[in-house]
Amino acid sequence: MDEVQIRLRVNGLERRGRVEPRLTLADFLREHCHLTGTHLGCEHGVCGACTVLLDGAAVRACLVLAVQAEGREVTTIEGLGTPENLSPVQVAFQENHGLQCGFCTPGFVVSVTALLRDNPDPTDEEIRAGLSGNICRCTGYQGIFKAVRAAAGNTP
Amino acid sequence: MTTPGGPSTALHRPGTVGEAVAALAAEARAGRPVELLAGGTDLVPALRTGTRPPAAIVALRRVLELRVRGAGADTLTIGAGVTYTELAGWSLSPGLAATSRVVGSVQIRNCGTVGGALGSANPRGDLLTFLTAAQAEVLLTSEDGSRAAGLDDFLSAGRLPGELVTAVRVPRPSGPQTYLKIGGRQAAFPSLVSCALLVDRVRERVCCAVGGVAARPWRVAEAERLAAADVDWSTGTAPAALARRFGELAAAGVRAASPLGEDPRHPLEYRVHAAGVLAARAFARCLTARSAPRRESAP
Ligand SMILES: Cc1cc2nc3c(=O)[nH]c(=O)nc-3n(C[C@H](O)[C@H](O)[C@H](O)COP(=O)(O)OP(=O)(O)OC[C@H]3O[C@@H](n4cnc5c(N)ncnc54)[C@H](O)[C@@H]3O)c2cc1C
Ligand code: FES
Ligand code: FES
Repeated sequence: MDEVQIRLRVNGLERRGRVEPRLTLADFLREHCHLTGTHLGCEHGVCGACTVLLDGAAVRACLVLAVQAEGREVTTIEGLGTPENLSPVQVAFQENHGLQCGFCTPGFVVSVTALLRDNPDPTDEEIRAGLSGNICRCTGYQGIFKAVRAAAGNTP
Repeated sequence: MTTPGGPSTALHRPGTVGEAVAALAAEARAGRPVELLAGGTDLVPALRTGTRPPAAIVALRRVLELRVRGAGADTLTIGAGVTYTELAGWSLSPGLAATSRVVGSVQIRNCGTVGGALGSANPRGDLLTFLTAAQAEVLLTSEDGSRAAGLDDFLSAGRLPGELVTAVRVPRPSGPQTYLKIGGRQAAFPSLVSCALLVDRVRERVCCAVGGVAARPWRVAEAERLAAADVDWSTGTAPAALARRFGELAAAGVRAASPLGEDPRHPLEYRVHAAGVLAARAFARCLTARSAPRRESAP
């Protein structure tokens, strides 16, 4: 096997692993780090469920190979908040019916966190464009949209 | 675990263009199929489905010289590793910025690169339509040296084995530029029909290419000739009727080209028509006289 040693930071903690070069970052997070909050839906870059931050930029963990994250900082949903201490975006999703089954939610929360960091006061159109890379089969998006509006109001 | 199947893959992580082409050449000499990896937005799905089972991958992320953008007196040079997100905010090229802003979603734009777009050479790729209109040159390097190829030649002949795209070069803008596309949900599907239009007020001409109709992005020469002759170049404006005529000629031009494979849900005739509409609209955006800056919403 041509396994490769990698080292990266995930949610602030150093992680090492020996991986096959074709292992995706999503599988590394789920299988090696047991961080199963990063969901896998389509596995070809369309649904957004696997969105994580790589050096702060929102990316598809299903399109990034684990070896490409070598030496970099990855933030997953587990790094944004805990059940006892939800992030402002998570609180806004909870309060505005931004989720039903929750499958898409980690991807939305990660994407929205990056969106509001880069643009704390988005227009309605900017929110819609910012959400366009994530698919939700349950909510019909209105609750998600309201949650982003509310979170934008709450972001200091 | 969903690691793409097949035998294991060797990984090269070069730090320079020289090391990258040396790795490509070594794999080629060993007779092993090799793929370059940039943002992975095209390659990683292909690895998973097994449509491309390379024995080796050359990952380009550490090759910092590919991530450079530069401006010369007459040209802009964009490194192969530059992402759509980086181009989307680039004030030196409004056309490249407009094109990059409508690629995929932010998560795709943060990864997808210029080199990957050229490597995939998807005939519906947004960047290829713009670069065709912009008469871009592709800069390539192999172990044997470097060369520049016109984009048309690059798209028809392809890359030679062992070659790496290092950059593309376009003329500096000298007038308004725009990029328009139609298609399904942008974040999920490539565009169906696209149109790039660049006004060159110095050479008094318009360059326009249409994507998604012909087998590759297609310059609409007749329409361009009409524009060169009939635009009022002292003001850089044209009457609305000229935009309509420009669209008709653009549609006729692309209809005559060898077509992209048939697509039952979007017949050729529909795409030809859409190309004409987009070309007329792009022309009007860049050249129709208007007294005040146009707003999308009515006053
Ligand atoms: C959900 C989704 C939506 C998308 N939407 C759009 C869209 O709206 N418009 C659009 O145009 N595209 C779209 N794409 C396609 C994609 O993002 C682009 O084609 C992208 O530019 C590919 O770049 P990359 O860096 O990810 O390439 P990679 O996937 O890393 O590589 C692609 C190919 O190029 C080769 N390659 C990479 N770098 C080089 C180099 N320097 N020299 C030579 N060959 C090289 C690789 O070997 C590989 O064959 C979408 C993709 C996805 C998954
Ligand atoms: S699982 Fe990655 S985008 Fe759908
Ligand atoms: S809440 Fe079920 S998919 Fe979005």
